[in-house]
Amino acid sequence: MTAFRLAAHTVLAPPPEGWRDALAVRLGQRPRRIGLWAELALHGARQCLDTAGEAALPPSARLRVTSLSGARGVTQASMDSFRAGLLPLPFDFMQSQPSLMLAALGAALDWQGDASFMVCRDTEAWQRLALQGADAGGALLGRVEAHGETLATEWWRWVPA
Amino acid sequence: MSVFIAGRGLACALGGDLASSIAALRRGGVAPAEVEVAPGFRWPVHAMAREEGSWLERLASAVRRVVAECGVQPEPGMLLFVASSSLDVGYEEAGHRFAGDVQTFADVVARAIDWPGPVVTVSTACTSAVNALLAAAECIESGEATEALVLGIEFSNGFTVAGFGGMQLLSPDRARPFGAERNGLVLGVAVAAVHLCAAPARWRIAGGANVVDGRNPTGAEARAVVAACEAALQRSGLRAVDIDLLKPQAAGSPGNDAIEAAALKQVFGALPPMVALKGFIGHTLGAAGAAELVLLTGCLEGGAWPAVDHALDPALGMSLATEAPPRVRHVLLNAIGFGGGHAAMVLEDCGA
Repeated sequence: MTAFRLAAHTVLAPPPEGWRDALAVRLGQRPRRIGLWAELALHGARQCLDTAGEAALPPSARLRVTSLSGARGVTQASMDSFRAGLLPLPFDFMQSQPSLMLAALGAALDWQGDASFMVCRDTEAWQRLALQGADAGGALLGRVEAHGETLATEWWRWVPA
Repeated sequence: MSVFIAGRGLACALGGDLASSIAALRRGGVAPAEVEVAPGFRWPVHAMAREEGSWLERLASAVRRVVAECGVQPEPGMLLFVASSSLDVGYEEAGHRFAGDVQTFADVVARAIDWPGPVVTVSTACTSAVNALLAAAECIESGEATEALVLGIEFSNGFTVAGFGGMQLLSPDRARPFGAERNGLVLGVAVAAVHLCAAPARWRIAGGANVVDGRNPTGAEARAVVAACEAALQRSGLRAVDIDLLKPQAAGSPGNDAIEAAALKQVFGALPPMVALKGFIGHTLGAAGAAELVLLTGCLEGGAWPAVDHALDPALGMSLATEAPPRVRHVLLNAIGFGGGHAAMVLEDCGA
């Protein structure tokens, strides 16, 4: 089993004012129709890789994201309109799926690879699980929480020791 | 991988357990029922037989039944993976607010079966169950665990049907995998259990891979299908010619079926016999990887085989086997999901 060392650890709780503008500058464009929660994931991941001094995530790295809040805000809003007799708007419905955030991360990082959304109440167990099976590319792990206006994200870049 | 399938359970539109599901499959399956999700909006759904009780009571009952069928004896510390796309939106839809956070659904499922170990949610849309199986297999392979239970659960709700309907992804009548007249997906409800262990058993998870490609968040990406299949083969120590049976995603989508067909031809050249199950249980989204694994291995063991009763699209150059291949040792299962998810897993029948 590969041993890993922590190359970067980014905590943004809350993210600094103007983080969405900073993300748009960093990506060269404003993320479109992915929702605030996924945007926060992009910002945290990019910040963590920058701290690690990596321009790109290696293809063999694995990406694991967790969240207890998920995109519940947009899901709830979409459910409310559904209950009123309307079909969910396509982008709202897509944003209710954590996998859309994984796709957005892949696109923003220009990366194709093993990405998954996994949740466990035991953070240590989640980290252990997330690192299991990782190899030469290590892992980029993230926690992204959006409880109403309260935002927080934390990222870890693990590389082979 | 030295990870084996110790037990299985399934409740789906075909039946409340694996045996009755296979029996219904032998009889030609069960037609989907129309569901009105909003005024004037109706789509067919492969729903499970309606039981009495609240949404939570029906969920708990189905989970208990399927877990009992798979025969797992929960031990303290044993990992439980709950794979789902819609999680508890059905509960919210039944007039409640969300009961808690993203993990609450898995907590409720764990309580229903008095699960004494850690509980993990995996939610990567239609690849959820494959990713849960691969994560559980990694835990066993690494020695972290000797057993784990994976539950794939996509339980009744109208919101998901409405969401897919709003995106114009649903068929108005039925799913026709690789069909000439394919016109969309038909969703399905299922609860499936797969008990994994290190002790040898008939079916072995030989390897698998998960590849996310973000360029097309709502559809299949051919190069990602190829990457997932090739990585799964490589990790299984196999070549494409070693695969005796292929279970593609094949949901009946006009676009994705064509992309998958082209990608599979690139991986395999001469394609092995193929089988499609979504015409019988619907696309069960986050549960699909587990539900289709359980149904397919049950069919192979029981000598049952899904009929092919629709004309295939000659432009795709695909064919579906009309009977079980004479010898099946290695099976590749392919899954494609929302959010650029592409996953493949190889099973080995150690008794073949």
